Amino acid sequence: LKREETTEETAVELPAFADSDDDLEMRSGEEGETDLDESKEEAEDQGDEESDEKESSDNHRFSKKVVPTTDSGNCTAEEASESEAEGSSEEEEGSNDDSEAVEDGDGDDDDDVENLLKEEEEYGEDNDFSVDTAGALKWKEDLTQKAAEAFLRQQQSAPNLRKLVYGTVAEDAD
Amino acid sequence: MASQPHALSYVGCNFLRQRLVLSTLSGRPVKIRKIRAKEESPGLRDFEASFIRLIDKVTNGSRIEINQTGTTLYYQPGLLYGGVLEHDCSPHRSIGYYLESLLCLAPFMKHPLRIVLRGVTNDQVDPSVDVLKATALPLLKKFGIDGEGFELKITRRGMPPKGGGEVIFACPVRKVLRPIQFTDPGKIKRIRGTAYSVRVSPQIANRIVDSARSILNKFIPDIYIYTDHMKGTSSGKSPGFGLSLVAETTNGTFLGAELASNPQGQGTAVLPEELGLNCAKLLLEEIYRGGCVDSTNQSLVLLLMTLGQQDVSKVLLGPLSPYTIEFLRHLRSFFQIMFKIETKPSREEPQGGEKVLMTCVGIGFSNLSKTIK
Repeated sequence: LKREETTEETAVELPAFADSDDDLEMRSGEEGETDLDESKEEAEDQGDEESDEKESSDNHRFSKKVVPTTDSGNCTAEEASESEAEGSSEEEEGSNDDSEAVEDGDGDDDDDVENLLKEEEEYGEDNDFSVDTAGALKWKEDLTQKAAEAFLRQQQSAPNLRKLVYGTVAEDAD
Repeated sequence: MASQPHALSYVGCNFLRQRLVLSTLSGRPVKIRKIRAKEESPGLRDFEASFIRLIDKVTNGSRIEINQTGTTLYYQPGLLYGGVLEHDCSPHRSIGYYLESLLCLAPFMKHPLRIVLRGVTNDQVDPSVDVLKATALPLLKKFGIDGEGFELKITRRGMPPKGGGEVIFACPVRKVLRPIQFTDPGKIKRIRGTAYSVRVSPQIANRIVDSARSILNKFIPDIYIYTDHMKGTSSGKSPGFGLSLVAETTNGTFLGAELASNPQGQGTAVLPEELGLNCAKLLLEEIYRGGCVDSTNQSLVLLLMTLGQQDVSKVLLGPLSPYTIEFLRHLRSFFQIMFKIETKPSREEPQGGEKVLMTCVGIGFSNLSKTIK
């Protein structure tokens, strides 16, 4: 019962925070392979990429697309250099060469997110348009998924002290 | 009083002090049944009887009925009167046992309380007068209870089993309490302590200090441990020694720990060095538990928050002690106050044990007994 409640909460809360860079993360989610290929080139020819992205953003129905684009340009440079230096980073998608791992991860994650957060589907559909924007930001992948998991983990690890102290009456009072 | 509120009924001897104190403050009578009903010596013990006499002294018009075997107690509280009093505490428990409850009641008296308590000042069970002086008094000050007439002084030290100590406690009265927002304990800035010894070699206190410092010196340079050797009539009737330590933080939190030697004729002799080391470790444990109030004063701070003005009070505590948890339940039954209890996981830097943020809105208790001048 507790778990259901928390899921609803996340679902309600999610739109607000997913709104800021939803297009980025969804795009990277759908387009894992191409991201990886391009990500190494991006560091060198950022200029080209940005112009590409501006074209694509015109098609896009979000008006404030420009801001995320510049963001992605900057971050990609960092990210590419980082990933090369570190090799396998903290997440499972950390390995550069294995495109399979990325795909698997994405598939699972999508399912999970859908299970966890039902309303998430709408956003997925909206953001299908942003698939053509390149720029792999691996730490930004599945932000919704990670956030949902972290939230649930915290909710479950923290015992409900109020209930422990006051018993079930506390629930009624709430 | 238009109608006598319904009496609350409890079973068993546990939490007697809590129940009587909350009953006095809320004005609700209590009935406690089956006090040690199945034991060989049933009924109230000496120290509990002494506590009830003390409650009777500080109030006016209380009705106390105890049945013949002492297994049932009915208490209908009167007004908190206060004034200049003295009380001989039972040597079975230390003065701290009585003082803890007096600290809850004293701010709400009609006349400022000035009481002389005689008995055992330090033992192994209850918080000693030294620790209460160093931790509970600063806490009361945060609620706006201070001034010249606020003191706790040890005039004679008495160790168990015979006691013979004497303490003077004086507390001013306040009409209302200030709500507190006390959520950041800050960092430890200094450690103070008292190593006391009575009717034993004065050298023992120095040995305690050396061993305690051997641990604490690794963490902080600002340590001062007083040695307090009392002689003659001010040394009570039994030999003994002990140490109390208090860590003070930058934000005015006081965390206390203490240890006392075994009473004469009970248990094996304790080495002063061992006692010093263990007490230092207890202080570290208390610091690990952390929070803005140490574990002995958790229930006091929660009570004063409950009785505050109708405003939000917040305090960050370490892990709740079983006594505090029961106290929270009692607060609900006497004052219909439920705290908001949130766990605060420590994130960035290691902060010790789990912290709990307690939030409540005061019931707007005002001291009706106090005469308006």
